[in-house]
Amino acid sequence: MKAKRLTTCALLTAIALTIFVAEAQIPPPVPVPGMKLGLANIVTVYAMFALGPGDTLMILLARIILGSLFAGGSTFFYSLAGGLLCYLSMLFLRKILTVRQLWVCGAIGAIFHNLGQMGVAVLIARTPQLVLYLPVLLIVGILAGALTGLAAQLLLARLSKLPK
Amino acid sequence: MKKPLSNRFWLTLLAAALILCAVAAVFLFSRTASGTVAVITLDGETVEEIDLSAVSESYTLTFTGKSGITDVVEVSPGKIRVKEADCPDQICVHQGWIETGVAPIVCLPNALVIQIQDSGDGPDAVVG
Repeated sequence: MKAKRLTTCALLTAIALTIFVAEAQIPPPVPVPGMKLGLANIVTVYAMFALGPGDTLMILLARIILGSLFAGGSTFFYSLAGGLLCYLSMLFLRKILTVRQLWVCGAIGAIFHNLGQMGVAVLIARTPQLVLYLPVLLIVGILAGALTGLAAQLLLARLSKLPK
Repeated sequence: MKKPLSNRFWLTLLAAALILCAVAAVFLFSRTASGTVAVITLDGETVEEIDLSAVSESYTLTFTGKSGITDVVEVSPGKIRVKEADCPDQICVHQGWIETGVAPIVCLPNALVIQIQDSGDGPDAVVG
């Protein structure tokens, strides 16, 4: 692995981790279990389009593993299932979206993140009724996902102008 | 390569999804359970069933799950809540009292769920 690529991945992981830990400190405005903005998704969307699937997977996994160490172990399985399902949807989306449509990638990725998270929650608590919260989670997820995707889109447009 | 789908297409798709979710959310949360029995499950096992209509004085129950997190549940006549929890997010505490709603109280870090059960199923309903 070239030093530049390694440095880029490490830097993005550090940024994602910082965002993830900082976001976990924000008290939830409404008491819906599992609801969050998912700001670290900015890095995932950006990496998916700027670096490609391989590097993105490594950044994502490193962030989830380190994030659960910093923020407490109970988030691990929710983040992992949500993150991986979101990642799989993005593998497909990156083939059909243009660089001006990253906001779509953020929104649809968020939908799959919510679905993965919900699947794990239902399994862990063995309570199918948790699905009741899914529509509310999806509303916030789609809106927040579109905005984080848009942030990644603006980032990609600006960073691609930097001299290599 | 194929022509990419337009922004308008994606915007319509996501707007439709949002509207669908909003309708589903309003419908789901406006429903009420027909029963008065609160069922408390911890790590997927039912640990307590309380008929809230038969409670005459408030009391508290304490549950500690596998994760080591402790939830203090307060039972009152006709309603139930998580009074205190030492989980990091406190979502279960902020969910407050539930009386008839079908939406369960959930403490995800502790896998503790409190829900009001429908009395519609089970042998009692058949006899009644």
